Amino acid sequence: MVMKSSVEDDDVGWGLGVPEKMRNNANWVDITHDFKEACKELSLGELLHDKLFGLFEAMSAIEMMDPKMDAGMIGNQVNRKVLSFEQAVKDGSIRVRDLSLPELIGIMDTCFCCLITWLEGHSLAQTVFTCLYVHNPDLIEDPALKAFALGILKVCDIAREKVNKAAVFEEEDFQAMTYGFKMANNVTDLRVTGMLKDVEEELQRRVKSTRSRQGEQRNPGVELEHQQWIALFSRIKFTRLLLTALIAFTKKETSSVSEAQKLMQQAADLLPALHSSIEHGIQYQNDTTKGDQPIMMGFEPLVNQRLLPPTFPRYAKILKREEMVNYFSKLIDRIKTVCEVINTTNLHGILDFFCEFSEQSPCVLSRSLLQTTFLIDNKKVFGTQPMQDMIKDALRYFVSPPVLSSKCCLHNNHQAKDYIDSFVTHCSRPFCSLIQIHGHNRARQRDKLGHILEEFATLQDEAEKVDAALHSLLMKLEPQRQHLACLGTWILYHNLRIMIQYLLSGFELELYSMHEYYYIYWYLSEFLYAWLMSTLSRADSSQVAEERLLEEQQKGRSSKKTKKKKKGQGARPLSREITMSQAYQNMCAGMYKTMIALDMDRKVRKPQFELDSEQVRYEHRFAPFNSVVTPPPVHYIQFKEMSDLKKYSPPPKSADLYMAASKHFQQAKLILENVPTPDPEVNRILKVAKPNIVVMKLLAGGHKETKVLPEFDFSAHKYFPVVRII
Amino acid sequence: QNMLINTDGPSGRGELSSYSSRARQKLESLLNKNMRIRMTDGRTLVGLFLCTDRDCNVILGSAQEFLKSSDSFSQGEPRVLGLAMIPGHHVVSIEVESDSLVGTQGFGSSH
Repeated sequence: MVMKSSVEDDDVGWGLGVPEKMRNNANWVDITHDFKEACKELSLGELLHDKLFGLFEAMSAIEMMDPKMDAGMIGNQVNRKVLSFEQAVKDGSIRVRDLSLPELIGIMDTCFCCLITWLEGHSLAQTVFTCLYVHNPDLIEDPALKAFALGILKVCDIAREKVNKAAVFEEEDFQAMTYGFKMANNVTDLRVTGMLKDVEEELQRRVKSTRSRQGEQRNPGVELEHQQWIALFSRIKFTRLLLTALIAFTKKETSSVSEAQKLMQQAADLLPALHSSIEHGIQYQNDTTKGDQPIMMGFEPLVNQRLLPPTFPRYAKILKREEMVNYFSKLIDRIKTVCEVINTTNLHGILDFFCEFSEQSPCVLSRSLLQTTFLIDNKKVFGTQPMQDMIKDALRYFVSPPVLSSKCCLHNNHQAKDYIDSFVTHCSRPFCSLIQIHGHNRARQRDKLGHILEEFATLQDEAEKVDAALHSLLMKLEPQRQHLACLGTWILYHNLRIMIQYLLSGFELELYSMHEYYYIYWYLSEFLYAWLMSTLSRADSSQVAEERLLEEQQKGRSSKKTKKKKKGQGARPLSREITMSQAYQNMCAGMYKTMIALDMDRKVRKPQFELDSEQVRYEHRFAPFNSVVTPPPVHYIQFKEMSDLKKYSPPPKSADLYMAASKHFQQAKLILENVPTPDPEVNRILKVAKPNIVVMKLLAGGHKETKVLPEFDFSAHKYFPVVRII
Repeated sequence: QNMLINTDGPSGRGELSSYSSRARQKLESLLNKNMRIRMTDGRTLVGLFLCTDRDCNVILGSAQEFLKSSDSFSQGEPRVLGLAMIPGHHVVSIEVESDSLVGTQGFGSSH
């Protein structure tokens, strides 16, 4: 019997409040014969039912004795007896002491695999809790196994808590239900790490006592034992480090994040030892007398079958031991990356960090750790800075609004302060939501980005009003300064970022058909990136204006200072972003023209059914943009007008368009090759731009004879394909 | 084949033989009553009788599954299933509470 805790808020409808009479006290009368006879009087296909119960309800009933739907059936299909931990201990089929080293190693490795399988989205009942030992570690007498079982429970408990708190998961990411299992909550975290440390030290003594000595001849039996002690020691230490790192993440101080990073590195250092010793662990036992599937000692896959909800049974395939170390290695890398976030201090930098981290499609645990590290207890950024302050800093960095400058008279003006404070407060929630959105898995993220545009449209509205109010205030006090569109520019920038991310992620998620590429890329290059460029340059001018004003104010104080400022003028803060946007815009323009040209040459497969409408598809793709005011959405008719090639005389032919596309890719290549410190993203785009320059030239030169349709290869860059013609 | 949903009461089917209509009445009188069905693999389901058809496929609501046990059902926690359908050919026995049979004709006399 699994030990259930008394209060479990996870349990959903688990037979609580079942009327007593349902069980066994009622006086049951057998009516089998009469019932069956009566049924024979019904017509073929006739259903006899209450008027409130119909086919719709009937359809959702689970069919018993169908293995796809009846999770309880499988217990009857196996030849072995499915025992609980306590039952197995009593009847001697499981040992809690005197376990051999290979047995311990095998059990621990299988447990690790179960843990990983759980983290990858399966239920606890079908993974970690198929290990009987974790049902009740108090009954375990072997100290290593006992400490290990408690360690695993604690790891699960903390992981679960983190994932729940961060709230960046959906049902496909993670199963949080604990089915009433006790997660070692009668022992403190510290006690468990202490137990693991004690075992570790004892094991270290064993390792030392079996090591080879100089001049002695090596006994192979002792050598094997030595290797096995090392194997066990490494596993216990790994568990302790993993647990301690997770515990560090639960602390509120940012210093504990650095501690976690160090612990994770130490854990990574143990991985080679883990990998090379997997072979020492016992394997799954094939009990040929009973003819069932092989079972691992100490594990019973069906022990929790009756706890599973009555949905159709989901069989959790436990990870293979050979893949265990590889997974841990990647998980540790992700967690170490997460720890880096505390080194970024400005909001835009943090947003970029979250976006980049998300791009590698990280696991739910690492995503959750990132969220909870950023907003500790959802109040302050890294536990220290209020969101409002970060927003003000972001505004200063991006657009230098006079109202936030200490050199501006508005800084001490009560009314101005009220305006800006209220605006910044209203910005907090949408930006926190935006950061949370970037913590979801890629598919859900796209959907949520579409929805948050509504909130940002409201912010945009408010920004314009506050700008206008501040501007009129400023005109009265400092006529040479202006406060037009400062806040508005900043919000617009974020709006555009979201819209661009929304459209680009459609390529990553393979949502668009080939015949849609042209309008998606058009919207990006001719519209969104164009707006983004002008927004960035407006922000830049605003910064320059503010800097010039400060220089003038400081004139006469020290000529050295002004000289320094002129030197620093070289790399403007937004220049990299402007450069990258230019590159992206050219890539999109190149793709857009390529697609139009391919279409002219009848190389794009289009849908050919009677009720087809490109307008409907287009409107659907850009539907989330309808709530945005600036930039105003481009409707289909407008798009058709704006992109109509007939307005040129003579209208371009496909060869002209291929050449134009080639030039765009060329331009992108030039821009990117001049980027001072190229990051991996720059190189990825170049891997696409370079071949496309060539392909477009070929197509322009009349490579049209082939009837084979072009292929789009997104393997180098998930947003921009290399066009391949065979 | 059309699915004839019997939404009217027995009064709507006067043209059928009185034996058929009595059979339907008997079955209808059991609707929404507690029912206990033992299946071919030894498991027992207890739930509210909601629906049946000619092949004796039965749908139970708020169904609970009890595993086979040598003595009574007091052993073992039931597994809550919700809405469950037992195919007719897997039904070994059907039981209802004696209270459910009060006032109806035909069913239940000791067999």
